Amino acid sequence: MRRYHLVRRADSRIGRTIAFYAVGILVSLLIGAVILFALGINPLDYYGKMFTIGLVGNRYGYKSIEGFLKIFVPLLITSLALSLSFKMRFWNIGGEGEFLIGAITASVIAFNSEGMPNFVTVLLMCLAAMISSGIIGIAIAALKVRFNTNETLMTLMINYIMLYVIRYIGETKADWNFFLREDSERPKFGTFPDSAVMTGIPIGQFKLLWSVIIAVALTVIVYIYLKYTKQGYEISVVGDSSATAKYAGMSVGKIVLRTMFISSAMIGLAAALTVSASGTISDTVTNNVGWTGIIVAWLSKLSVPAVFITSILISVLQYGCQAAATQYPAIDINYADLLQGLILFSVLVADFAANFKIVKKEEAKNA
Amino acid sequence: MKKLISMLVTAALAVTSVFALAGCNSANGGNGSNGGDKASNFKVGAIYINSQNDTSGYTYAHHHGITEGMKKIGLDPAKDLYIVDNVPEDDEKVKQAIDQLAGNGCNIIFGISFGYINAFEAKAKEYPDIIFSHATGYLSNDKNFNNYFGRIYQARYLAGIAAGYKSLELKNNNIGYVSAWGTEYAETCSGINAFAMGCMAVNPDAKVNVYEISTWGDQQLERQAAETLIDTYGCCVIAQHCDSAQPQIVANEKGVFGCGYNSDMSAEAPKAHLTAPVWNWDVYYATAMKAAMEDPANFMTKVGNYYEGLKAGFVDVSPLTANCTAETKEAIDLAKDLMTSGEWDVFSGVKLSFSGAAGSVGVAKTDAALKTNEGAEIVAAGGKSVEDGVIQGTMNYYVEGVTQVN
Repeated sequence: MRRYHLVRRADSRIGRTIAFYAVGILVSLLIGAVILFALGINPLDYYGKMFTIGLVGNRYGYKSIEGFLKIFVPLLITSLALSLSFKMRFWNIGGEGEFLIGAITASVIAFNSEGMPNFVTVLLMCLAAMISSGIIGIAIAALKVRFNTNETLMTLMINYIMLYVIRYIGETKADWNFFLREDSERPKFGTFPDSAVMTGIPIGQFKLLWSVIIAVALTVIVYIYLKYTKQGYEISVVGDSSATAKYAGMSVGKIVLRTMFISSAMIGLAAALTVSASGTISDTVTNNVGWTGIIVAWLSKLSVPAVFITSILISVLQYGCQAAATQYPAIDINYADLLQGLILFSVLVADFAANFKIVKKEEAKNA
Repeated sequence: MKKLISMLVTAALAVTSVFALAGCNSANGGNGSNGGDKASNFKVGAIYINSQNDTSGYTYAHHHGITEGMKKIGLDPAKDLYIVDNVPEDDEKVKQAIDQLAGNGCNIIFGISFGYINAFEAKAKEYPDIIFSHATGYLSNDKNFNNYFGRIYQARYLAGIAAGYKSLELKNNNIGYVSAWGTEYAETCSGINAFAMGCMAVNPDAKVNVYEISTWGDQQLERQAAETLIDTYGCCVIAQHCDSAQPQIVANEKGVFGCGYNSDMSAEAPKAHLTAPVWNWDVYYATAMKAAMEDPANFMTKVGNYYEGLKAGFVDVSPLTANCTAETKEAIDLAKDLMTSGEWDVFSGVKLSFSGAAGSVGVAKTDAALKTNEGAEIVAAGGKSVEDGVIQGTMNYYVEGVTQVN
């Protein structure tokens, strides 16, 4: 019997990596094209609409860009936040839960902000969301530091707890429940008063929301933080080896607590910006950024500029898939999901293939 | 080094998408936007809660209604229909779906789920030239935003008649009802009540046992509920207000009978199915699209908030199967006549009772108060039917003869 081994490639050539990625994406698009062809749709036409996020031939093209940015901002901030904790090898997969806590606390302020100045309300929403999400993050980090609990399990469970909390709020008609529309017999989340709805800079008909500017600024700040500050350096040392960090005289526990607070608080901020931009909350408000953010962070190898670009590409994929599917009665959203999955999967495979190779056992010995 | 690689990798991703972008720009530059130069410029937009390719259930029923309605008035669903499907009841996502449909030039936009209400209300203001039509909602304006639903309780009353006859034949007064919700929603509550009143118009001793599954659709729970109703409560007919045909399939397996919902479920339960209350959504969709196409400015005066029933053919029961007793058809026709003529309606102070053998079934009207199962009087004997607003929005009691078992 022949044995095969996986061996990490000794060198990493850029040309090869690019080639693998290109082939991966091409293969996934080709598989998608076969399905489109079977459904009687011209694949080039479809892909064209998809990668232009439905802008071409759209009467309200600027709204497509606004919609795209609303998907992009939370994904970018969450991915950045997750990269921070992953860099420290702290497996925070509780992005969904941390996002929901932030969204709920921000909404508590929003629903009760009638008459308050817009700027103050939005600022308060952001602060409340950051603090509440940050506290959950720090609590989980504390359990890890003090009792060495498994953070993967803890953060994962937070997702489900918060999902059921928000469903409870959304489905319980009661006097205390100011989240719901009062005039509706059926439970239905209400709409924020204008005081809590994010404004922006109008550019013609297009409105550039402040959240976009905040997200871009945050990207720069995180980049500088990781690259040029002592704290940023500490994170990578703890990530590489906590023993090294300890012998270098760093307080590992403190670094873990601090970084998890920052990471969760950023996700809380993303949530506050999201609910404020849409003017409401729902149990699907996260748009799965807690999960997608993990993919973005890893595809980007935790590099901040790469996170920025990857977030754009994933958002184009998400928004574009839906926009294109709208224009074809034969295509439903399941196809859009399928295509997204195919592309992500093949990129991950390509990434793997670019870093590893399969060799026979004898060759491995000789190698 | 690692960083450099990842940068290049993402750059590669970017390059491929730029290529695709360029490709489509040139492709689109040539022939302009799609569909714009067709003879008919009328475009229909639809927002669905589930997949447009479903083969049964709520979304399927609406999709079928919209496509059939379009064909009736000469529109081509393959060209003139734009759909965003699997849209959750999340205002932001509904708004984005509406923006997409508006951007593609839709003249009328239908939303089929109750939770789309906030987004429809907001967007109707934003796009005054587009007509917004929202199923099961209660909001509207006087220009371009209506709601639509139907008197499905009338069809449920008819199905109740079929179930009542079956229970008489089997000498078993226990009838089961698998319901998504109980008294929390007027929609389910009024359906249960109407069905029970239909049963009792034939078999005054009939008891309707309601099993609430607390979700609009969960095949596993629907199945379990039907099993409980048959095994524990000895029910001989299983009616339902939930998305799948599971309750009928269980009835078929266990050798009892049933009334489906939404579509004729005879294929799923050939030995069990009696008849099902069904919607003919195309009746509304054709009406609404025609009005929006011909005279959009007067949409709200011509169509307005739509709440039709048997009379308009908007609701009905599916063809009776051979499982029904001989008297069923005559009795159902009699009741249907009374409702289509407007002479009588379900939730009034007048009770129908059917008697006589097949070939000579007769209906008698007697004044009797409409009472809740706790004995409170809703409508005095001989009184008029409760308001439509109650049936659609606030009914939260069961009538006599109904028991919720869980």
